[in-house]
Amino acid sequence: MVTYEVNVMGSGFSYALAIAKKDLITQMRKRFEAFSMFLFAIIAVFVLGLVLFSSTFIIADSPTRIQVMTEIGSGMLWVVVFFTGMFGFSPVFISESETGTLKGLSLAPIPGWSVYLGKVIYGFLLMGLVEIFLVPIAMGLLGFAFAPEISPLYILVTFVLGTLDLAAVGAMASALTMPAESKATVYPIVYFPTATTALILLVEITRMLAIGLPIIGPGIIELLILLLGHVFAMVMLSAAVFQFTLTS
Amino acid sequence: MVSIHVDGLTRRYGYRVALKNVSFEIPVGGVHALFGNNGAGKTTLLRIISTLLQPHAGKVEVFGFDIEEEPIEVRKRIGVVGDKPLLYGELTGRENLKFYSDLYDLETSTANAIIEDLAERFDVKRWLDEPTKILSTGLRKRFDIIRSLLHNPELLLLDEPFSGLDKDSTEVFRNYIEDKREDRTAIVTTHNLALGSEICDDFITLRKGEIVGQGPISEFDGNI
Repeated sequence: MVTYEVNVMGSGFSYALAIAKKDLITQMRKRFEAFSMFLFAIIAVFVLGLVLFSSTFIIADSPTRIQVMTEIGSGMLWVVVFFTGMFGFSPVFISESETGTLKGLSLAPIPGWSVYLGKVIYGFLLMGLVEIFLVPIAMGLLGFAFAPEISPLYILVTFVLGTLDLAAVGAMASALTMPAESKATVYPIVYFPTATTALILLVEITRMLAIGLPIIGPGIIELLILLLGHVFAMVMLSAAVFQFTLTS
Repeated sequence: MVSIHVDGLTRRYGYRVALKNVSFEIPVGGVHALFGNNGAGKTTLLRIISTLLQPHAGKVEVFGFDIEEEPIEVRKRIGVVGDKPLLYGELTGRENLKFYSDLYDLETSTANAIIEDLAERFDVKRWLDEPTKILSTGLRKRFDIIRSLLHNPELLLLDEPFSGLDKDSTEVFRNYIEDKREDRTAIVTTHNLALGSEICDDFITLRKGEIVGQGPISEFDGNI
């Protein structure tokens, strides 16, 4: 028989990583959510690309047509990511609640915010995985490209912040939806209004990145700071109140 | 020494009162029965002690820690087994136990030794690397019991722990409780009054959210 002493004193962030790792392993074995997210995204991009191509076909002037496709396409990309996120983020707490395993997380001697953060990290990685494949395909089908003079760092920061924001909002919406009987109805009601602020910012930033507005002066940097503020506010507020959703 | 101190505890679900002004103390060590019919308030009481529910009135302390003020200190010291195993079906038994070990911040080598030891004791070693979704109800229950014991809790809260267990598993778990009864405390709710009477030192009977009987198990008359 093993004898042992247990010291429970880890950091909240290490617990969050353990939860995210567990969710990723579970997801890779189920494959259902990642697959349905990717399938939805590809179909949506394909259909939107087809509509965009045929509706701009009448524009004879080629530079004008490219600019129209770039402006509309860069917006459509985030609309697709926004709705794809619904598939990925909505089950993060709802499935734990339905299988009863949320009780296991609630009983663990860890702060509530680390459970929330773990789910945000998981949502971010899952969505990021989908975006790695989705963005190049979307750029091809929606007919836009990032301006060559724009540093890839701005593009990376935009996608990282955007995905993190949607994951933060999506995870909290999923947590708030847990007690509801009509989860499928309640989830979008919570997710849409909260995530729309980020969506508007992301569409505008990506449009600027695609048409190549100068980095200096009011523009991309200011919007990225605004987006960073939104991410920070969403994560901190949600983490602060998350404990109440576990014990209510 | 007191493991659980409950004073004037009240909990409602809407207008229905689940627990009404409940007060009692449980000493450190031993096995204590919580009897009562369905809806008597047993599970609500265990959920409050385990910090899963907040009381509407009254005070609950576990080893001197207030469940509302210091829930993490309480959770470090308790192990909970409920009617439903808290396992992830896609993960193997070992992965499930490793995951929970991480949440209890056990070192990898310590966690591995504990998992091997408990798996041996509960006779699940053969199934350690199988996804728990393919296991029988009884095996999943055994893994869930191991999960609750990983951090060597000072207080075990067992809500119908023997339901779903076969005779051998019941015996193994019962022996485990017997071995630990000197320095560990267990609270058991069960509808199996005979088994409860055999393993417990004393009892509390709840009826409609109120304590209607308590004392040494020898004084339990089988009336709930």
